[in-house]
Amino acid sequence: MSEQAMEFRPSAGCSMGVELELQILNSRDYNLARDAADLIGMLEKNGTPGAVKPEITESMVELNTSIHAAHESLVRELRQLRDAVARAAERLNLRIAGGGSHPFHDWSDRRIYPTERFRHLLEVYGYLAKQFTIFGQHVHLGCPSGDAAIYLAHLLSRYVPHFIALSASSPFQQGQDTSYQSSRLNTVSAFPLSGQMPFVHSWSEFLGYFEKMRGYGIVESMKDFYWDIRPKPEYGTVEIRVFDTPLTVERAAALAVYAQALARYALAERPLPPSREVYMLYNHNRFQACRYGLEGAFIDAYTQKHTKLREDVLETLQLISPHASEPGSAGVLGELAESVKAGGSDAAWLREVFRERGSLNDVARMQSERWMGKTAVSA
Amino acid sequence: MMSFLPQYPFTANPLLLFGLLLLAGLIGGEIAKRVLFAPRIVGYVLTGIGLGAGGAGLLDAKLVREAWIFVEIALGLILFELGRRLDFTWLRRDRWLAATGLIESALSFAFVFFVLTWLDVGLLYSAVAAAIGIATSPAVVMVVAQDLKSEGQVTERALYLTAMNSVIAYVTATMLLFWIHHEYRADLVTVLLHPAYLLAGSAVLGCVAAVIAIQLARRLGKSGRGHLVLMLALIAATIGAARMLGLQVVLVLLVFGVLSRNLDRRHDLMPFDTGPIGQVFVVVLFVVSGAIPQLDDLRTGGVLALVYVLARFAGKSLGVMSLTYFSGVRRGAAGLLCLALTPMSALAIAMVQDTRNLYPEFGARLAAIVLSAVLILQILGPVLVQFAFRRAGEAAEEKA
Repeated sequence: MSEQAMEFRPSAGCSMGVELELQILNSRDYNLARDAADLIGMLEKNGTPGAVKPEITESMVELNTSIHAAHESLVRELRQLRDAVARAAERLNLRIAGGGSHPFHDWSDRRIYPTERFRHLLEVYGYLAKQFTIFGQHVHLGCPSGDAAIYLAHLLSRYVPHFIALSASSPFQQGQDTSYQSSRLNTVSAFPLSGQMPFVHSWSEFLGYFEKMRGYGIVESMKDFYWDIRPKPEYGTVEIRVFDTPLTVERAAALAVYAQALARYALAERPLPPSREVYMLYNHNRFQACRYGLEGAFIDAYTQKHTKLREDVLETLQLISPHASEPGSAGVLGELAESVKAGGSDAAWLREVFRERGSLNDVARMQSERWMGKTAVSA
Repeated sequence: MMSFLPQYPFTANPLLLFGLLLLAGLIGGEIAKRVLFAPRIVGYVLTGIGLGAGGAGLLDAKLVREAWIFVEIALGLILFELGRRLDFTWLRRDRWLAATGLIESALSFAFVFFVLTWLDVGLLYSAVAAAIGIATSPAVVMVVAQDLKSEGQVTERALYLTAMNSVIAYVTATMLLFWIHHEYRADLVTVLLHPAYLLAGSAVLGCVAAVIAIQLARRLGKSGRGHLVLMLALIAATIGAARMLGLQVVLVLLVFGVLSRNLDRRHDLMPFDTGPIGQVFVVVLFVVSGAIPQLDDLRTGGVLALVYVLARFAGKSLGVMSLTYFSGVRRGAAGLLCLALTPMSALAIAMVQDTRNLYPEFGARLAAIVLSAVLILQILGPVLVQFAFRRAGEAAEEKA
């Protein structure tokens, strides 16, 4: 990687972009299929190039939006992408689903998508590479400078449990109820370069750290860090990576707006300094969110207060709603608050479907119907 | 003295036959896999040829008749599973695929019919032989796909086209019964009503089975084991009922499979996988169908069979190559699909047997043409299908 690539390219304040990793299912028993290459090929032929990319195994595909300032344009583009992918999938007799994990696939059936990088990952990480067939949403937030990105990354670390609990949609793995709301992050934790950014205070300090790691030969580029939150200098963004892919694009857009409002609040008011305490409590809070979702316990590093995560999310929503980028976004934050109060979550929906239907095949099927926009089928 | 001892010569029974055929097939399959690096199916078929009238003569016509029930069970299971895969809505969304199925069926019929008549084979023989040739062997395509755990567009489309052309072959051959009956001076009632009875009867029986399956499954709840037993019970009963009513087992089970998927609007049925049970019957299926075509057939019908095979391949390939592009699958997929549609096996044999049972003389002459083609394609077919699925990159990695 060249020096230039590590140069932070400033971007418009708190613009946002979304990446969604999605599941490709067959229509027979709704297990994961292996048709990523054909699906991407068809989308390219039909003129949706660039926005749809391969991921580590042939059962995954990634959607990328362009850069947005407001909720309305973001959700519009997400719907367009969803419709294009859903149409292409239907022509290939495939289904597409959201959700952080596939409920019953067997990881050993997965096949690595044939690119040099993914093959290299298989060589380095062995079976972990195939177990990495989990599905996340990444939200990019534009930052005016590298220093601002470092500050933002530290501040957002306090809110990582929020992101996890609000998106949690991976209660099932490998045919079992994991008892977690988000079991996906347990898989990420197995990677040696997962975790958090080091406690640095400026972009130049960060570059020093990066150069050292590169000097040891541990990493080649920022891509090799699987951190929960990482700066992305070539985009001029901070990237939040702990979200499970939600069951609908509407939910994905709402989560991006939540992150955007938080970032606007953080960068405009600089309300709190980066704190080592946040990282001391980090794994505790994160685990609680993965395990119990919004019902999890949360310890605020700045006030030492113990609360339910739900309370902290609702307080935060109140705090940041004045910072919504436009009225549409404020409305979305209001709806998010309502859903938090009502206690609904994607993980709960999935468990409810399983309780009703008694079959994980049906869970995967209805997951895909929900994502593709056919909730009416759930008779 | 010692009357409690069994008398020589011993009389075999179907169970002994089943076990021995299974053992022989198992050994043949392993040899094919390890020595010839060919699909196991090829080994089963070669075992059948070795045991059959053309080889050691152990598996003679009488034993084949006894073993035929196992072939029907295996075919029934396979056709049911194939039918379960068929989702009509896909054919509506990808009309090019539906069109491909119609065109390749029509062209393979036309090519074979034209070439055979050109070689002075009688019109009626040519027509029936061409109708049988429309069908790709569902057994070979399904079993190779399952063995390789193959999954992807080529596999999926090969299976859909196979299901379509099997139905079209059956319907065409059944319609030709009008002509056969007429040729053999059957009474008018038979001429008109027999084909109608076969088609309508098979459709109704398959439909009844599907409705019963869905209704019972709804009451059973989602239990994997319960559903497996339920489906096996219904499949066995449906095969038996089809035989009892003089209907075509293959067509009935295919209808049963297709409707159990497409009528199941509330998704009451769980995914069905015959698992090891199906595999056991599959071995016997291929051993027995290896034993039926006789090398004598090949000697008399050799040239015709070769021409038949080539004309059929040309017709199918032209149909597939001309339309697959529009379906939007990747480059090269069409060629592999053509290879995957070549096998002929037990289904063709069953169709020949059906005619033989009606008019032995007509059936015998038909057999000389069709069965010698089957002999060639039973061995070549699995190899081609395996090549196609592997080349398409759709076979699973071998697990250590």
